[in-house]
Amino acid sequence: MAHGSRAGLVAAAAVLLLALAGAPLIPGALDSYLLFFLFLVFVHTVLAQSWNLVAGYTGQISLAQHAFFGIGGYTTAIVATTVLEGGDFYFNPLAMLAAGLVAALFAVAIGVPLLSRLAGDYFALGTLGFGEIVRVVLVKGGALTGGSFGISMPPDAFDTLAPHYWVGLALAVAATAAVYGVARSRPGLALMAIREDPLAAAASGVNVLRFKVLAFALGAFLAGLAGSLYAFYVFSVSPAGFLNLNWTLYPILMCVMGGSGTVLGPVIGAFLMTAVFSAANVWLPSAHPVLSGAMIIVVMIFMPNGILRMRAARTGRPVRWRWAAKQAARDAD
Amino acid sequence: MLEILSPRLLADLFVNGLLFGAMYGVAAIGLSLIFGTMRIIFLAQGAMIVLAGYAAYWAFQLLGVDPYLTMVALIPLSLAVGAAIYQLLFRRAAALEDKNTSLLIAVGLMFMLESLMSLAWTPDPRSITTGYTATGFEVAGVRLSVTRTAGFAIAILATLGVTLFLRKTLVGKAVRAVSENMDAAALVGIAPHRVNMIAFAVGIALAGVAGCTLASTYAIDPYFGFLFSLKALIALALGGLGNVGGALAGGLALGVIESGASFFLPGWADAVAYLVFLLVLMFRPEGLFVRSVKKA
Repeated sequence: MAHGSRAGLVAAAAVLLLALAGAPLIPGALDSYLLFFLFLVFVHTVLAQSWNLVAGYTGQISLAQHAFFGIGGYTTAIVATTVLEGGDFYFNPLAMLAAGLVAALFAVAIGVPLLSRLAGDYFALGTLGFGEIVRVVLVKGGALTGGSFGISMPPDAFDTLAPHYWVGLALAVAATAAVYGVARSRPGLALMAIREDPLAAAASGVNVLRFKVLAFALGAFLAGLAGSLYAFYVFSVSPAGFLNLNWTLYPILMCVMGGSGTVLGPVIGAFLMTAVFSAANVWLPSAHPVLSGAMIIVVMIFMPNGILRMRAARTGRPVRWRWAAKQAARDAD
Repeated sequence: MLEILSPRLLADLFVNGLLFGAMYGVAAIGLSLIFGTMRIIFLAQGAMIVLAGYAAYWAFQLLGVDPYLTMVALIPLSLAVGAAIYQLLFRRAAALEDKNTSLLIAVGLMFMLESLMSLAWTPDPRSITTGYTATGFEVAGVRLSVTRTAGFAIAILATLGVTLFLRKTLVGKAVRAVSENMDAAALVGIAPHRVNMIAFAVGIALAGVAGCTLASTYAIDPYFGFLFSLKALIALALGGLGNVGGALAGGLALGVIESGASFFLPGWADAVAYLVFLLVLMFRPEGLFVRSVKKA
């Protein structure tokens, strides 16, 4: 990319961020659906980036992001209702940090045994199993997790969307910056080497397990933060609301649609998919999931490499059956 | 709790687990065929099963057709639906190296089916109540319901049918060849798209079989399918991926594990099932019922 256009891009991004940050200050803006929509975009962006790190950059398909999202949400609620009871719990940085850290701890605990033994589909299935176990544990967790009803936090201290919006924006920017930073760092290089060929990466001296677990834990940390952000918005966490597989499937969809393994792809995907879902929710509430399903199928069939087709050369290559057969026929002659 | 533990109770738990596990087994065989040839985890299998269940339900409610009779019509129909799904949705994705694409198409299909069924037929659970639903008989002191036993028998027949198809027919051999090594199969002149389509059609036909038997025994609702897909995946992992007999055995084992766990650890049955699943994935990824230690 030419130097001039890069500076232009940075300037455009800065202007866009300033506009986004200032949006709640416009009179009447806080009552509009648009700000809520943007808040959802931020939550989705953080989650999508969390999956992007694990799957897009490291090549390990995780189907447990909803579990880390849920762990983050529950940690926030538990900290808010016990440790910080009666105190200043609302958007308490410690509660949010705890949400990310607890999720990351779980990721290390489950990631070391899973990642040392499983790869590919088997790892994906294993993470799915982990998510289901977390769900059952939360439902059966007794007083600590509130069973299938969940935990309600004390009533909202702020009665406006603005703080949620700003924290969401900050987290979305931070998550994207984190992915940008990782992608350009030495560990990031190791992650991509593992994605391309784990064996070759190991042969080049990369500690494959350590970096896989690192990416998994970092992804879980971001998912936990997203869960915390969302918990502060809905003010009650429940297995049905937080351990919902949609919290894994939507980020995957957003990443793949925007282009997984790119820095900005998940942001674009989060924006577009949230727009589609919200539009469907407003105009066709009952048919919303039908439309979402159809949308997933259409996107996957016609744009399997995402909008930023940076990985097209690697993943989009069709297996050349016909060519192989013809070649074999020619060789046989 | 121990004083109520009689051999009879244990036998009941075991047999009922076995009978329900047969349903997982049939679903797992369908998944296994699709996974074997295309390396696609077809998560919508459960939704297809529920759809077939609804077909049997409505055929019974509106036309008074016996669910087992419906199966005769449903099998060719679901073969055709399976072939159509492959051609319309998976043909392009199956040729991609990136398996995310096909996984997500399956997820999209599942969403669509679930919400369409819920819109059309409400989310209320339904079950078929025929004249013989409540009847049963006793074998060696264990009471067996007619429909559950029929479901078990059908599962065994379906497994035998698929095994014979894979072993004895040329098409079945082609399916096995593609599962072993797709490139080599293409080199000897097997058209992968045709084989994929056939595997998909047979997989969905098995969903049809499972749906009919399931709806005539247990209650179904539009969202029941996803959980069923997960259970079928567990059964598949227990039995070893790409192994028809193993898939059935895995389903039976899962049924027994769940039935035992739901009695001894009420509410934890799902967690126990997934824990077993994780342990098997980690320590015996080739499955519990495979003798040769082939690295999966």
